[in-house]
Amino acid sequence: MAASDVVFRVKRYRPESGGRPTFQEYTIPYRSDMVVLDGLNYIKDHIDPTLTFRWSCRMGICGSCGADVNGQPRLTCGTYVRDVHKGAVTVEPLSNFPILKDLVVDFDDFLRKLASVTPYIVRKDWGDLTKEYVQYPEDVEAYRQQSLCINCMLCYAACPVFGSSPEFVGPAASALALRYNRDTRDEGADARLARLNTRTGVWECTFVGECSVVCPKDVDPAAAIQTLKFLATMRHMRRLLMPGSSSR
Amino acid sequence: MPMTSREYAWKRRPGWWLRNRRYLMFQLREAGGVICALYGLVLLNMLVQLRAGESAYTAFLDLLRTPPVLYLNVVLFALVVWHALTWFMLIGKAQPIQFTRQPLPWKVVFGINVLLWLGVSGAVVYLIFGGI
Amino acid sequence: MKRTVYAADKVGFHILHTLFQTSMKYDRIHRFDEYFVTSLIVDGGACAGVVAMNLRGGTMVAIQGKATILATGGCGRVYEFTTNGFIKTGDGMALAYRAGVPLKDMEMVQFHPTCLPGTGILITEAARGEGGYLVNKDGERYMQRYLPSKMELGPRDILSRAMIQEMKAGRAFEGPYGLYMGLDLRHLGAKKINERIPMVRELVEKYMGLDPIHELIPVRPGQHYIMGGVSTNGKGETTLPGLYAVGETACVSINGANRLGSNSLSECLVFGAACGLAAAGFAKKKASYPRGAAAREALKKEEARVFDGVLGRERAKETVAGLRVEMQQLMERDVGIFREESALADACGMLGKMRDRFAAVGLADKDRVFNTELTAVLELDFMLDVALAIAHSARNRRESRGAHSRTDFPQRDDANYLKHTLAFRTDGPPRIDYVPVTVTKWQPVERKY
Ligand SMILES: Cc1cc2nc3c(=O)[nH]c(=O)nc-3n(C[C@H](O)[C@H](O)[C@H](O)COP(=O)(O)OP(=O)(O)OC[C@H]3O[C@@H](n4cnc5c(N)ncnc54)[C@H](O)[C@@H]3O)c2cc1C
Ligand code: SF4
Ligand code: FES
Repeated sequence: MAASDVVFRVKRYRPESGGRPTFQEYTIPYRSDMVVLDGLNYIKDHIDPTLTFRWSCRMGICGSCGADVNGQPRLTCGTYVRDVHKGAVTVEPLSNFPILKDLVVDFDDFLRKLASVTPYIVRKDWGDLTKEYVQYPEDVEAYRQQSLCINCMLCYAACPVFGSSPEFVGPAASALALRYNRDTRDEGADARLARLNTRTGVWECTFVGECSVVCPKDVDPAAAIQTLKFLATMRHMRRLLMPGSSSR
Repeated sequence: MPMTSREYAWKRRPGWWLRNRRYLMFQLREAGGVICALYGLVLLNMLVQLRAGESAYTAFLDLLRTPPVLYLNVVLFALVVWHALTWFMLIGKAQPIQFTRQPLPWKVVFGINVLLWLGVSGAVVYLIFGGI
Repeated sequence: MKRTVYAADKVGFHILHTLFQTSMKYDRIHRFDEYFVTSLIVDGGACAGVVAMNLRGGTMVAIQGKATILATGGCGRVYEFTTNGFIKTGDGMALAYRAGVPLKDMEMVQFHPTCLPGTGILITEAARGEGGYLVNKDGERYMQRYLPSKMELGPRDILSRAMIQEMKAGRAFEGPYGLYMGLDLRHLGAKKINERIPMVRELVEKYMGLDPIHELIPVRPGQHYIMGGVSTNGKGETTLPGLYAVGETACVSINGANRLGSNSLSECLVFGAACGLAAAGFAKKKASYPRGAAAREALKKEEARVFDGVLGRERAKETVAGLRVEMQQLMERDVGIFREESALADACGMLGKMRDRFAAVGLADKDRVFNTELTAVLELDFMLDVALAIAHSARNRRESRGAHSRTDFPQRDDANYLKHTLAFRTDGPPRIDYVPVTVTKWQPVERKY
């Protein structure tokens, strides 16, 4: 190994050969400005075309290139090798997800969770659809942070609660629920809080906080969940005190 | 979509909480919760012994004074303090307190909580011992 | 008047997520996640659906439908240096092209002047809109030589060409990824940068390791968008009944020879709605459901072509990564920002040879499940078709217009070329034809600043 090389230890799983995941080592040329994804692509193009991983935008916006890099969930396109390089760079599929092949994990369960929080604007009456629903900058500011999620699932990979109870609705889906609950055009908050107040909802969260640490877009799902706990409690109290009241 | 049966199911590693410092701190915080409950049991036991008569009570107090129990208490006390401190750190993040456009930074909320806690503890010590 | 509405510098992102999330409202929308379309089913002169590879299951399936809409995006990866993502390989264009539908105005390729060297990550127009300068290595705002009336606010094609000219004149910076120019935001100050163009700062810090508040941003032109695409009318209809196309993969011709910033997403919204309504109306009116036999036949053919054919080829000298880079570099050099006859003739010939060499590209990964080497090979196959259409369309247009700039024919020639190029696929090089431009309200005039 030359001084200008770096070793990538990549976890491999070949569904058609069966067996357990194993590590494979690749030695590749090092550049100070290379990101982990560059390394993976170098391997795919020059050493081993069978290495399988998802990616597209290489600019932190499509959310497809997540992997555990040296034990921490990260976007491989946004992680410089120079920042994580301690002898070797270990790349594994995101924790807590079933592995399809090499670094590719199954995200169907995650999509079902997103769908479960009614992630769209709900209205009883849409009124005149040719008119605009005006929102002021403050209105947008109220949910801007939660709307920046790129569905990369790093937060799920970082969440030990999700790791032990896979039914937990989880960080990103909760943040998305809050995004719509804070939208001035929406009237679906009650149903979303009801969903999040269930056994698989926000009360599963024990506030480890790691989701917000790994989130590449500063969505802060941990804070979103705590806010939702508060809102769900308020809703519960209101229903106790004023039965029959259903509020937005 | 049909799931392929060839997927490799993920299993949580037993030592997951040693993976990084933050997980470890979290586990200690959770462990601290158990310790708080243990303290509660010790206090309850004290009441039981008190009802059982003076000799049982002094025997219990003597037991508390033996070195092993004292050492144990130091460790448990540290964990309880950690538990309290970590929760104080989380309060400002869990439910941001907002007077102005920007919510209070968590460190400020943390500071206020610590001060309140020290104040209350001081008051309790004063009430019991009439001064330190 | 404001020409566009926007959501900070993340318009496309917010449109995408809002659409995706709102689609979850409708149970009858059946999403086929990670299915890769390999061909169209054509039966009795109409499109009857698609054949797709289910990547996770490792199987090929036929998905039948009365109406099929292609919305597969652009083809930036035909070029080496592009702002586009890895998946932008012109699949929909090639799919339609192979089914006999012409590709329109493929020579009209837009190059964006401000991309980060190395990665090709785009630095938005807003950086200049807010007052950023373009400078050469002498610190000079060189646009005064090319477009003094507009300076940095000139259109993308003129700015890109000016950069190449500065580079040729030896006034560019030199870095590990070749020549580049400087985008200077320093005089705007931290406050303005943070408020107006936060994503610019985020990207430059993260992907370049520089802070634009204190440092010059290295930039160079890169492929960004293609005005051409599957020839459609305003309802997204193609010449093949039942086949529709929309978005960057289509060419409705609203972008002419030179798209204006932010018109692509507006186009997606406006023509997306029009196309969806037209396709739904068509499906409703059409009485009979496509024949199962045709789908089964198409499926068998694709299984044989892809699984037995392509996947069966042993890996040898010719690799997908190697051939792809060769094609990309060729396109960059000969069918890029400046074009001329001998280079274009050369490119057409070389691409034809690459088409033949493609047959020898072998694979190391023989698995059917999630075989991204296989999808890369199929994408290269699509890209070669698209690249050939671009090169031949460019060679045949012997004038300069919009983004198409020929050094040997620098003038616009309305007498001969006020018309759209159509490229038809044949077994040999594409057949080029022309149709007149429909001029409605605005007469074409020379661009003057
Ligand atoms: C960095 C960047 C910035 C831009 N900024 C702006 C802007 O500010 N304003 C503006 O108006 N425009 C902008 N554009 C242009 C605009 O974003 C694109 O033209 C637009 O997103 C195209 O949308 P689309 O729906 O046609 O295709 P895409 O968004 O590219 O979607 C294509 C989809 O088809 C799928 N697909 C492709 N092939 C297959 C296949 N074989 N089988 C199955 N699925 C397939 C892909 O996976 C993808 O999901 C920008 C482009 C880039 C690259
Ligand atoms: S909340 Fe953050 S970490 Fe989680 S999916 Fe969204 S962007 Fe990724
Ligand atoms: S490749 Fe798109 S987020 Fe990394």
